[in-house]
Amino acid sequence: MTVQISRESLIGKSLTRVDALEKVTGRAVYGDDIKMTGLLYGKILRSPKAHAKIKRIDVSKALALEGVKAVVTGKDAPFRGGEALRDQPFLAIDKVRFVGEPVAAVAAVDERIAEEAIKLIEVEYEDLPAVFDVMDALKPDAPIIHEELHTYEHIPIVQPVPGTNICAKFEFERGDLEKGFAEADVVIEDTFTFAPSHHGQIEPFMAIAQVDYNGRITVWVPNDAPSRLRKDLSDAMKIPQDRIRVISPPYMGGGFGGKGGLKVEMVCIALAMKTECRPVKIRLTREETFEATLTRHGAVCWVKMGAKKDGRIVACHSKLYYNTGAYAEKGPTVTLHGCESGVGPYDIPNIKVEGYCVYTNRPVAGALRGYGLPQSSWAHESLVDMLAHKLGLDPLEIRLKNALVEGSINPIRGDELFSVGLKECLEKAAKAIDWYKKRPPNRGVGIACEYKATKTPSGSTAFVRIEQDGSVEVVTSSVEIGQGVRTILTQIVAEELGASPNMIKVTVPDTDYTPFDASTTASRTTFHMGNAVREAARDAKKQLLELASKLYGISPERLDTWDGKVFPKEGGKEMSFREVITSHYRAGLSILGRGSYYPNIPGTLFSAHSVFYMYAAHAVEIEVDPETGVITILKYAAAHDVGRAINPKACEGQIEGGVLQGIGSTLYEEILFDDKGVMLNPNFRDYKMPTSMDMPKVIPIIVEAPHKEGPFGAKGIGEITLVPVSPAIANALFNAIGVRIKDLPLTAEKVYFAIKKQKGGN
Amino acid sequence: MKQRIKLFVNGEAYEVYTEPNRTLLDVLREDLELTGTKRGCDSGECGACTVLLNGKPVNSCLILAPEVDGQSVVTIEGISKPNLPLHPVQEAFIEKWAIQCGFCTPGMVISAKALLDRNPEPSEEEIKLALAGNLCRCTGYVKIVEAVKAAAEKMKEGRS
Ligand code: FES
Ligand code: FES
Repeated sequence: MTVQISRESLIGKSLTRVDALEKVTGRAVYGDDIKMTGLLYGKILRSPKAHAKIKRIDVSKALALEGVKAVVTGKDAPFRGGEALRDQPFLAIDKVRFVGEPVAAVAAVDERIAEEAIKLIEVEYEDLPAVFDVMDALKPDAPIIHEELHTYEHIPIVQPVPGTNICAKFEFERGDLEKGFAEADVVIEDTFTFAPSHHGQIEPFMAIAQVDYNGRITVWVPNDAPSRLRKDLSDAMKIPQDRIRVISPPYMGGGFGGKGGLKVEMVCIALAMKTECRPVKIRLTREETFEATLTRHGAVCWVKMGAKKDGRIVACHSKLYYNTGAYAEKGPTVTLHGCESGVGPYDIPNIKVEGYCVYTNRPVAGALRGYGLPQSSWAHESLVDMLAHKLGLDPLEIRLKNALVEGSINPIRGDELFSVGLKECLEKAAKAIDWYKKRPPNRGVGIACEYKATKTPSGSTAFVRIEQDGSVEVVTSSVEIGQGVRTILTQIVAEELGASPNMIKVTVPDTDYTPFDASTTASRTTFHMGNAVREAARDAKKQLLELASKLYGISPERLDTWDGKVFPKEGGKEMSFREVITSHYRAGLSILGRGSYYPNIPGTLFSAHSVFYMYAAHAVEIEVDPETGVITILKYAAAHDVGRAINPKACEGQIEGGVLQGIGSTLYEEILFDDKGVMLNPNFRDYKMPTSMDMPKVIPIIVEAPHKEGPFGAKGIGEITLVPVSPAIANALFNAIGVRIKDLPLTAEKVYFAIKKQKGGN
Repeated sequence: MKQRIKLFVNGEAYEVYTEPNRTLLDVLREDLELTGTKRGCDSGECGACTVLLNGKPVNSCLILAPEVDGQSVVTIEGISKPNLPLHPVQEAFIEKWAIQCGFCTPGMVISAKALLDRNPEPSEEEIKLALAGNLCRCTGYVKIVEAVKAAAEKMKEGRS
């Protein structure tokens, strides 16, 4: 008779975070907490000019200052880096392209001396005409920011247009656009603008670099992709990847896409190459973190839609212009992803999307939670509402009518979609705020929805090691950014291996020891690394059961594991993992399971249709004070199809955090510049982010449309949580007071004047 | 000119020699190597550096080292010790998933503890107000506020 072993699955359980104890006691170590023998401190002299030639740099006085160990300029590190397109010098070479660009740097025995020394560096500039606006930068007479654009190396999917400021251009077309618009009963179009915003990670940027006697480089940096950083550095410096080692500090204080690619690493390495093996630490101030790391793209988005009387959308044309600032960074693929959601999560037969990633003399723009979608979604989700209004339809119903469903064809790439929980998201979000309820004046409801791709194809590798004491280590390059990756991977491995979560630890990435992982970005980790660790756990379990089968004298198929023990399925004596290993290998040995995941989709990085799509719908109820223009969020429901929630609390945390971050950039966050390109609000006082006082009632809703290839059906969640926020609130604003605002943020002032104009104007 | 400063941190006496324009945060993190207190902005705007100075929550980046001469400071490292029970605020933060990247957490825990010390049964509004100086970019504050409520409950049970 078969004995039923009770085993409660760990999948779908809100286990507490495996890193919570260290964090809540202040013992978790972050980059700036690390000290080293011989450590020097670096400071960066930054460009005060938005666009200028460097005529002369004189570092002699800085070099002469006591305590200064090295001074570098662009000539000392003549490398250009960039994931998509290698345009960014480690320090400015010959010219500067934004205010805040590194021009020179100093390493000294302490930070104050370094600070003093950079003030002694003399730089002579010759001003060049600058361009800040994305549409101005496209004009034929615009100053050209990268004269050498044709010489830069780039990944195949990125096609720059030399002689212009177009860093990359994308176009998707399906069906017959003209025919579609001809068939439509109603056609509307409009332009929407999106203000640049900042990640606002509470941990500022930092890095430590050391070059050893063999010339091998080690970098300690909170970067969301250690494997990719190693490759980016190797590509830029033209040295083999094995000459570079990237080590993550144990913890990272928030990333949101900002702490990736090449940032402080570049200057830090340039300095470390001149300090005779002494490590150099650079930690940016809050101002530098704002001014000179990364922003979210400001954008101008034009959309045109045509629909039948019944609300069926038959054609959509979008043109998306992303202001990518002085260097490409991830701008090209941000633009690409924006295009991939350029018409919304709708079954539209005739579409065209054009995306332009445009250089200007703004600070570099790149990845920030949503990767191009907050901009494109802002446009089409506002326009769908306007369409509904014009047709006299309910905004929820027009979306339900057009929403992608299981088996729909992706309007952009043409792939067939599965694991599509969009309608359920729409229905549940609307219900949670009582969508159809009649509301008093100045109150309104709004809804918006979206789907998001993940970068495809991309790979992840992992090991699962069972030590002779029975403990388990998950060896992975996934980075704990705060999203809870170590907890999620622990749950997946515990479930698959039959171990208990407290036997498991997850490594901190170190490219010398942890295997390749594309990145901890794009909401890809639960899916990709989850699959890799699951396979590694399966492999480790197989080896463990083979050993155990010799001890039990029965075939491995008749054995199983749970809670760190091996047992015969038909019942009998249990043996702990430790007992199995030590009984067999009396002098000790480790079991090493291997796992990799690479989607079976042809193409180069970013070129293929997504291996999974996340779906979301947000519904919000607001109240507007017509006297002041202040928007108060009364209730915010955010429904997300995550495939399968490995840990529901972790998913909720992503939703709550993403929603509030989105509320920030919808209602007040905006990076401001003067007319010379100087950032006016590079601090938390003037760049207002939401505080606990701004926290609305958020209702997180998890929808599960399992993905056949995801680990236990899981997909991802992190990035899309922010995407529908702006249009949902703007749509609610229209619903409340009949005012449509098309440029973000929806500040009280803007709302106030819009109301005034509406009253007085007609 | 360096100055000699005596201060008590987490119940221990320390003596440091420091330039007078360095802050309490500099002294804690760099001289005493108590790195649990975080530096997020260095200008009093994020609350990551919150410590208790004579029992009151302060931004340690705004306080010059000489000002704390002879004073008593509690940092996150003083809130709990390894192998001893956690403070109820810490327990609640763990249970409620009030932590993501954790960079704001030490400051949040200190502010929450200070609140509950002076107001054992705060309303939701009072909790939000007490945490208004502590920025968190990850959690949206929802679970943090829940955790502080839960901590108040725990402490109430502990008292009865
Ligand atoms: S570091 Fe002190 S308030 Fe931000
Ligand atoms: S948990 Fe990351 S800032 Fe609060």
